[in-house]
Amino acid sequence: MAERPQGEEDAVDCAGVLLRLVEFVDNETGPVDRARIQAHLDDCGSCLAEYDRDLLLKALVRRACARQSAPPELRSQILTRITSTQVTVVRRTDT
Amino acid sequence: MLRTTTAPGEAAGDFALASPHGLGWTAMSTEQPAVEEIDAQAAADATVDVATESPQERSARFEREAMPLLDQMYSAALRTTRNPTDAEDLVQETYAKAFAAFHQYRPGTNLRAWMYRILTNSYINTYRKKQRQPLQSDAAEVEDYQLARAASHTSSGLRSAEAEALDHLPDSDVTRALASIGEDFRMAVYLADVEGFSYKEIADIMDTPIGTVMSRLHRGRKQLRELLTDYAAERGITRAEEGS
Repeated sequence: MAERPQGEEDAVDCAGVLLRLVEFVDNETGPVDRARIQAHLDDCGSCLAEYDRDLLLKALVRRACARQSAPPELRSQILTRITSTQVTVVRRTDT
Repeated sequence: MLRTTTAPGEAAGDFALASPHGLGWTAMSTEQPAVEEIDAQAAADATVDVATESPQERSARFEREAMPLLDQMYSAALRTTRNPTDAEDLVQETYAKAFAAFHQYRPGTNLRAWMYRILTNSYINTYRKKQRQPLQSDAAEVEDYQLARAASHTSSGLRSAEAEALDHLPDSDVTRALASIGEDFRMAVYLADVEGFSYKEIADIMDTPIGTVMSRLHRGRKQLRELLTDYAAERGITRAEEGS
């Protein structure tokens, strides 16, 4: 029902590209789609801006969630558990 | 003059192109003499026969393979639970379960994803119940995902200035935003962006179809963007600063 504006083809293309932008940003796009999206981004400033922003966000999250060292006590507790399980196995013969 | 050498801890095999003469790294200094032994041990661990392995051998193998992932698991637990005490408990639980089930892990497959799956399940079973958070409907996610593609194409003129502003936000704002979004979204975004897992791997870890992973990523990032844009406005950096 909606009136179609002049640039209908572009609009359809943008919608299709934006739909797949998540995959594209995450490197999950197949080679054919990849080339098609790449070609569209070369021509379409607004989709390119969207893409840049998605990439930036991904990089921001990655940067902000830099790996943290586990507390040493946690490490030693887990190690103790791993090694003490063998003791438990031996002890079972007592009962 | 710029000579790129293999970074410490990086498998030489990943950069076969960098050493056309084959074992190029033997010519380098001997600062990491244990690498060959570690590689040999890793190769042995990847092909071990679980059925004939003694409990001692298995726990030693678990220690060799799983303990190097501890910092990663703890970091993920920290983002997932959002507090250090729960994160430690979650990692304890994850390692206890992983150790108990280690005979089910197929040697040579993706241990990191396997551990993440245990962590995710443990979190859902233990902590989500505790918090009594209502679950997001996946049907609503998909619908939102489809609506979003139309909506996200408006106001593109603001985008690049906004992107600049986001880039100036401190990391603490990003982690705060991440902590504020729904946990399914948070986990999907974390697994994709920080851990670099593929959609297939995330689907396995979160035990959902790939389509759900995609919609969680889509919605999660959209919410993150909105929050970060708000934070940027609060900090008065809605416009890009000049010259930095």
